Amino acid sequence: MNSSTSPPDTMHPQLMLLMELQDLRSQYRELEQDEGAAPVEEEHFHIDPAEAREQLQAKVSELEERLDPQVRARYERISPQRDRVVVPVINGVCYGCFVSIATATVGDQDVHQELQSCENCGSFIYVVS
Amino acid sequence: MKLRKLFTPESVELNLSSESKDEVLKELIQLLGLDEKSEAILFKTLKRRENLGSTGIGKGIAIPHCRSLVVNELRLAYGRKPEGMDFQAIDDEPVHNLFLIVAPPLEVSNQYLPVLGKIAQFAKDPEIPAKLEEIQKPEEFLALLEERAP
Repeated sequence: MNSSTSPPDTMHPQLMLLMELQDLRSQYRELEQDEGAAPVEEEHFHIDPAEAREQLQAKVSELEERLDPQVRARYERISPQRDRVVVPVINGVCYGCFVSIATATVGDQDVHQELQSCENCGSFIYVVS
Repeated sequence: MKLRKLFTPESVELNLSSESKDEVLKELIQLLGLDEKSEAILFKTLKRRENLGSTGIGKGIAIPHCRSLVVNELRLAYGRKPEGMDFQAIDDEPVHNLFLIVAPPLEVSNQYLPVLGKIAQFAKDPEIPAKLEEIQKPEEFLALLEERAP
């Protein structure tokens, strides 16, 4: 692994950003739930869930500002409807809607160089190798 | 779920070489065998979790953890830094034992939080740090899990 934290050049920068956003949103969501991470984080790691959510939300807002206008428009259209704006594609199946994705879309070795979405549910997709 | 089943010898490193917190996180991530772009995203997510508060829970133990899109199943790794390192742990003591836990955003079996709690309990057993210190081979780490976290 490179010591640099800059994104690998084989991934579309906006996809990278969307994935970071998605991971932050996952953390935020889990800290909202009484039976989620909040009690574990409080007990073992002394985290204040409310404060942590505030920090995460600030970071989410900051990253959202860095989305290209077109991407952001789609992101804002999807995010109120779904917990996950970016969904993994595993073995050719979109894990947002569980419908198979066309091989032409996900079969390319450089699939992450373009920002792609599921034709069925509209979620941005990330192919998990 | 037995903790032993979530580790492999390849996911155990008994002599971490990194000196800084960032570098040690990267070294742990490498134990998962992900591709480069996934490693970079996971590093950022783990860093953001660390920014909320250190996952160094005291007594020489750290449990960096997060959910991330880059894995499709629960993944764990263990790293040992015999001489210890600064991880901004809650007791300000050096960290010697690091358990990395990464889960996908959604899991059918919902193992992430129970496993996180189980690792924390295992690590807090007062006898565990000394036992971890004695380990010579990854297989002995797995045997310790089998014995103490059935």
